[in-house]
Amino acid sequence: MEPAATFWDQITFWILAACVVGGALYTMTRRNPVTAVMSLVGTFFALAATYATLSAHFLAIIQILVYAGAIMVLFIFVVMILNREEVAPVALRGLGARILGVVAGLYLVFVFARVIHLGTSAAVPVPSETFGTVASIGDLLFRDFLYPFESISLLLLVAIVGGVVISRSHKKEVAAEQAAERRKIVEQLAHADFPALSDAGAGDAHGGAGGHH
Amino acid sequence: MPATPTAAREGTTDMPTSYYLILSFVLFLIGTSGVLLRRNALIVLMGIELQLNAGNLALLAFSRQLGDQKGHAFAFVIIALAAAEAAVGLAILVALFRSRQTINLDEASLMKR
Repeated sequence: MEPAATFWDQITFWILAACVVGGALYTMTRRNPVTAVMSLVGTFFALAATYATLSAHFLAIIQILVYAGAIMVLFIFVVMILNREEVAPVALRGLGARILGVVAGLYLVFVFARVIHLGTSAAVPVPSETFGTVASIGDLLFRDFLYPFESISLLLLVAIVGGVVISRSHKKEVAAEQAAERRKIVEQLAHADFPALSDAGAGDAHGGAGGHH
Repeated sequence: MPATPTAAREGTTDMPTSYYLILSFVLFLIGTSGVLLRRNALIVLMGIELQLNAGNLALLAFSRQLGDQKGHAFAFVIIALAAAEAAVGLAILVALFRSRQTINLDEASLMKR
């Protein structure tokens, strides 16, 4: 029948929920980006533990590896590059934006309340032995989700190339272009027979000679 | 474990799904308010990450409720997507900072300087 949540289940859930919500709030309210990134890492660890309580052990490991391990390192590097405190941290300009935000937020609350009311009256079923393990998720990914799985690799390749192209410095390119431009001008000058220049030079020489006399 | 089919597996809880959904909702709200209210582009990107994670939490909760692992595959794809999004987003941030010396989103409202 319905497995009731025990006392320890409750304790675990509420501690993890407090860590997740507290970490997220702390992240969003910090002025210093480094503090924000660190508390986001903590939030992701708590979230990974929450995933594990949902029998999603593989996803919990992936969460720690990818989020806390890879994405957050990227964030730290960018914080190091930028390293600026913001002047005006919070801004929501205009009455229209405020009203729109309130209406959208109320609609969001309404939709979520309906989903929670409709979708979760049933008891939690007991997951099967292999639910959420690496083997069964891998089986699913490489059978039913093979095409999405392969397209992830394409997406990541595009993201890598795009990231490099967008963020690289253009200074060297500009310098190379200027050098090429100069080379072109010099080449043109070398190939020209300079009728005007020789005329002007002769005129100058004549004028100079005239001045001497 | 198979001897007692009503007992949860080790490390898992039997909390009702609605609790997880409410947690996901709160997390999404925090992420959304961060995206809407903060002007630091870096914090806005972190808010987007929080939103994606809230979506993942809801997917996993429903996945357990329905006994279907497709939600796990979806969450896997979303994590990969979040990695790609963070890489490109941070690259755009660096390019923005190079060209204007700021990452304040209010000052980055024009296509060209």
